[in-house]
Order: sequence, then C-alpha cells, then structure tokens
Amino acid sequence: MAIQTQYFLLLSAAVFCIGVYGILTRRNALVFLMSVELMLNAANINLVAFSFHHGNLTGQVFSLFTMALAAAEVAIGIGIVLVLYRNFEDIDVTKAATMRW
Amino acid sequence: MTTRPRLATDVNYVNGLAALALFAVMGYVFMTSELGMPAGFADGSITASIGYAMFDMLDQAAIEAEGFLVAFIVIALVLDAALDGAVMLARREDDESVVAAITDGGRPLSGRESDGADAETATDDVTGGDD
Repeated sequence: MAIQTQYFLLLSAAVFCIGVYGILTRRNALVFLMSVELMLNAANINLVAFSFHHGNLTGQVFSLFTMALAAAEVAIGIGIVLVLYRNFEDIDVTKAATMRW
Repeated sequence: MTTRPRLATDVNYVNGLAALALFAVMGYVFMTSELGMPAGFADGSITASIGYAMFDMLDQAAIEAEGFLVAFIVIALVLDAALDGAVMLARREDDESVVAAITDGGRPLSGRESDGADAETATDDVTGGDD
C-alpha cells in the first residue's frame, strides 16, 4: 500500500512554505541560510516523490546532486556571513544595504 | 555569564502571511490534482541502481534511470570551487591568514577599532573578559 503522490507534494509544499516564511520574516543571515536549505530540501522531496511515481530512478539520483549543490551553497553562504559580520559587526541582512563602504 | 537563545521578537509577521497564502494555493492545487497511485519501482536493489546510474553503467542497473556521469564531474568541480570560494571569503585582507572562529557570541571586540592589532591580541581580549 503506497502513499499517494499528492501527499508527498503537500509535505513538500509545507516545507517549502516554512522556508519562504523564514526568509520573509527573519533578518538574521544565518536563519536565511537555513530557510534556503529548507526550500532546497522541499524540491528534493518532490524529486524523490515523482521518481517513485514514475518508477524511474532519475529523480533520486538528481536529488543527490541537489544536496551536493546545497552543500556548496552553504559553504559560500557562510563565507559571506563571515564577511558580513566582519564589515558590519552584525549579520542583520537589512543593515547591509551598500555594496561599498 | 552565559547567554541562552531567546525567541526572536523582531519578526515581520505580516510578510509571513504571503508564505501562508502560497501554501494555501499549493495545497489546493495538489489536493485537487488527479495523479493516481504511484507506479513504484521494479524489483532489485535501489541503492545499487543509483550507483550504476551515477557512473553511466546503466546496463547493470535493475531499475530504469538516466546516466549522470557528466553531472557527477560537474558537481565535483562546483564543490571544489565552493571550497576555494569559502577560503577566499574567510581570508582576512590585511594579513592574508585564516584565523580561528571567534566564539564571542557577537560581542563587540575591544581591539576592534585599531586595524594594526593582530589576531592573537584580539583573541586574547575576547577570552580575557569584556570591556
């Protein structure tokens, strides 16, 4: 007895919207990174769900590559947060309004 | 004195309503869609098939997939570039050395204003106490 695909999609939409909520409401750059991670993982849930739906493993393999890409994104993101803290002494994203100072 | 995490109070709840609206729309669309039951995978090891698909050895895979060897190489290069980028961002511009993470909880450094102070004095100031 398999779960219908639309419930996977509903879970994915919930995780994605939690990520969108975090990005829209919070101002901490590290929370931003976590929210982007939630959104990427929501896409992974969709890939795996449709992989199972069609009986083809392409989606599962591609979700592995998405995870690797998310790791690269976090490495760069934390580097940017580090520079942000060094230059503004804060990681509030609304304070970093200029690119040169 | 230790600090503990506190509930964020500077939260923009009004903007968050947009996320809730998005979830309502997506939930409606998904629940009214007629996707039917999933087909499921054929018999055989899923993990082994993922491994074969990743290295373009699809003739040995039990479950149908596409080849991902080029994507595998590209993602290796991207991860390498991200590692270099992270080191480049973490490097300080003045003395060109990567310093250890400052675990000061976001407290302002006492030797922050003077640019000539080296990393050791700054770290000692942090651990030695606050101003």
